[in-house]
Amino acid sequence: MRTLRFLWVLGLLPPCYCRYFSGETFSEELVIRPLPDGKVASRFEFTTLLHGATPRNPQNLSVEDHSQHYTLFPLALGQILREYAVTELHLTLNAGKWNYDRWGYPEESDVATGASLWAWMAEGSGSASAANARHRVDARWRDLRNALAGLFCASIASLDEQRTTSPGRAFTPVGALPAWPASVQHAFRHASLPSENVCTENLTPFLKLLPCKSLSGLAHLLNPHRLFDADWHGMGLHVSWRPNEGVQVRLTFQSVSDPLRAGGNSRDWSLRLLFDRVVDRACPVAASSRIIVTLPTKELYSVHPEPSSVVDGRGAFDLSDQSFPLDLRLRWAEPFQHATVPSAEAPLSVRRMLRGSAQDHGALAISITNPDSDPVSVVYLETLPWIVYLYLSTLELSVGGVRRPDLLQDISYIAPVPHGRAATLEAFLSLPARSTVTLHIGVGRSFLRYTEHPPDAQRGWDLPGAVVALLPAASGNQSSATDSTNKGAMQEMKKWNQPQRIYTPALLVDPATPDFSMPYNVIIFTCSLIAFIFGSVFNGLTRRFVVLKSPE
Amino acid sequence: MFSRLLLLFLFSWIWGTLAATPSHEQIVGDFFNKNGASGGSTSNHTNNWAVLVCSSRYWFNYRHMANALGMYRTVKRLGIPDSNIILMLADDAACNARNRFPGSVYANPGRGLDLYGDNIEVDYRGYEVTVENFIRVLTGRMEPSVPRSKRLLSDASSNIFVYMTGHGGNEFLKFQDNEEISAFDIADAFEQMWQKKRYNEIFFMIDTCQANTMYSKFYSPNILATGSSKLDQNSYSYENDNDLGISVIDRFTHYVLEFMERINKTSHESMADLFAYYDPVKIHSDPGVRSDLFRRPLSEVRITDFLGGVAQVEVGEGVPVDSSAVAAAQEEDEWPLQGESPAVPPVLPVAEDTRERVGDLGGGWRGMRAWGGVLLIGGLVGWVGFRS
Repeated sequence: MRTLRFLWVLGLLPPCYCRYFSGETFSEELVIRPLPDGKVASRFEFTTLLHGATPRNPQNLSVEDHSQHYTLFPLALGQILREYAVTELHLTLNAGKWNYDRWGYPEESDVATGASLWAWMAEGSGSASAANARHRVDARWRDLRNALAGLFCASIASLDEQRTTSPGRAFTPVGALPAWPASVQHAFRHASLPSENVCTENLTPFLKLLPCKSLSGLAHLLNPHRLFDADWHGMGLHVSWRPNEGVQVRLTFQSVSDPLRAGGNSRDWSLRLLFDRVVDRACPVAASSRIIVTLPTKELYSVHPEPSSVVDGRGAFDLSDQSFPLDLRLRWAEPFQHATVPSAEAPLSVRRMLRGSAQDHGALAISITNPDSDPVSVVYLETLPWIVYLYLSTLELSVGGVRRPDLLQDISYIAPVPHGRAATLEAFLSLPARSTVTLHIGVGRSFLRYTEHPPDAQRGWDLPGAVVALLPAASGNQSSATDSTNKGAMQEMKKWNQPQRIYTPALLVDPATPDFSMPYNVIIFTCSLIAFIFGSVFNGLTRRFVVLKSPE
Repeated sequence: MFSRLLLLFLFSWIWGTLAATPSHEQIVGDFFNKNGASGGSTSNHTNNWAVLVCSSRYWFNYRHMANALGMYRTVKRLGIPDSNIILMLADDAACNARNRFPGSVYANPGRGLDLYGDNIEVDYRGYEVTVENFIRVLTGRMEPSVPRSKRLLSDASSNIFVYMTGHGGNEFLKFQDNEEISAFDIADAFEQMWQKKRYNEIFFMIDTCQANTMYSKFYSPNILATGSSKLDQNSYSYENDNDLGISVIDRFTHYVLEFMERINKTSHESMADLFAYYDPVKIHSDPGVRSDLFRRPLSEVRITDFLGGVAQVEVGEGVPVDSSAVAAAQEEDEWPLQGESPAVPPVLPVAEDTRERVGDLGGGWRGMRAWGGVLLIGGLVGWVGFRS
């Protein structure tokens, strides 16, 4: 009787789905897109979703947090996120220059050179007591940078307050910000370091955040010897909160490889050629594991093996119904014809130059070309370290030689503080149809102190790229969205609800460098002078010359 | 008269009991010496750390980065994990734009062995490699927000291997062509470490010009030091690689790594063997050794005491294993398919712990003696109290 009574408890047990590990889902995807100029762009995406989780409220930072038990979600990252109460976090480590004219829009729009880190963190308790000073946003931002620097073996810790800015409009959260009371406003911090190198030591911890590491699944293709040989490569970490789903961690790796340089004789590519590896087996804990290839539309080609499905010109290969080892191959029937992105589908083209040959002043010139038949509104963001300061009164906007100050609205400028704070310039720009808009600003260059120069001072300082953010909500941009050659990028834009951002390459500015041997020279010269003077006076006063008669 | 005899007997009994009780230090020492007495190492460290510093930047100092990476690969191969290695590289050679073989650093002209590999963690890179950070790593005096991977979390029983390479001179080493660290700075840092009990023994190796001058100023105990060349002597590079276009390794480090290739985790080679392997004719300079601060004889110091992560292990009697349980565990090795319940790992039977605990020395007898002493004192007090 007793055993029967307890049998009803079994009915309450939910069915156990082994891939649904205690509220976490992991899925992976590889998108490969052949580019018009013969190169191949690939994007790996590894998504781990922690169901039902919410970001930590910084008001509760003094209360001990609940213990974290994850199966697939990376614990090292989870600890950092909860320790510093981070709501949304984006970190990118890129190397190279993304050529928008030839390659179109990237799948992941954040292609700034070097290291970039931006995060949304809510204010901690506002009181000024010592215990709560650690809970303020700036203290948590500093600790977050140090923790990520240790996790990713990158110099993110040097993104200090001299490189941190808070632009308000170019960056919008990808996920949602929890609706905490109004006293707990979210603050936004952004910092970038264009001179950061990306190498295998950054990829090693990246792979350790994945459930299957690099042993199985698509992560096995991440071969550092090939990835860091690419024309452009970048890795990204994106943490966001989806209100109905939970906390999502997206690890991405994008690269643009050249099949010709990788050993092939033509632009035919295969996984073996691009990555020197093939997919040996599927990751057992992945809920979905897919490779998506953009198939050529105007040329004859052959792809092996056959895709599981073809949707909208993109073939999808689901690893659950492929045979292993899987080596995807795409071959063209005809020889290669070099092409660039057709002008009807070309993205905005942005160029930025630093003019002037003097070492204390110059000019910053930006030209944006809109090839579309519709006007476009963008947010233009410039964050410059304090060594370069803008003379806002010399700001000029012209289209085809004609001054058009009406196109620039709502300028927000935070002036730099020498040796203290970076400059932020943000403005709304309206770009007329089929035109080139040129911005021209006078700049001055600061004089650095002797100890502020980096060890390789003669190289100069890197200026982070300008950000031109297309606003998807504006009606004027809808047509450009559908005409874009990169349907995948536009789908990404809609999927993650973020604006497409265009980054200009980093500029190099060389401030006046002193002669670093001068302190040594001055010390030596002064000491010699003092020795001569003192020695002569001393000898003159104390030495007597006496004539001696030789005993002959 | 009788009472005096009794008191004398009491005191000698108590003193004998106390003297016969082995102290904690003796228990630990016995454990380590057990292995040492049988011809093994006489070291009493419990963990190993390595601090590997390459202090030069720029592409033409590729060989210094290869030096440090060669040592990194050796200490990893011999068992020190990444969490116990602090690797400082002042520049990026593997992903440098000038590197024809991206993601790889080679240390021999034929490019046989890639030192960078697929699994490497560089703790301090680029502009972070400064004299200040190096001394902070050694002394442990850092901001609270510095992450764990950048800290030297050593304790009083850690053996630390400190390797430095770069351009140097008479009692100084250049960091990134911008600043210098002097032999006095390193000596003072080691003394701070000694005062704060941050090391058991240090093995200091340096490969620069006039390297032996760098260890001439040490004054803390338990430091063994070796350098690649003496005062007024340069240290030379080994060979160029024609495809990379620069020298790939220095002579001293090359011959040290050549010696290390013969070592694995179970080797018994000693420091005396390493120092005997030095050949000034091949190295083109006179390497030196400083062992006056080191209390153990060099023939008893194993290479793996410093470069390896080898732990002292006491092997007990075999635990009988249920072979059917092992077979069942092997069958259930594959991941459960959808719909099946997760496998429960089999529980192996635990044998009784039949070894005698070290230092127990017949604990029952000691307890009896202690109680006997208490009863004796109680009896004496009672006799004195109820006398007269």
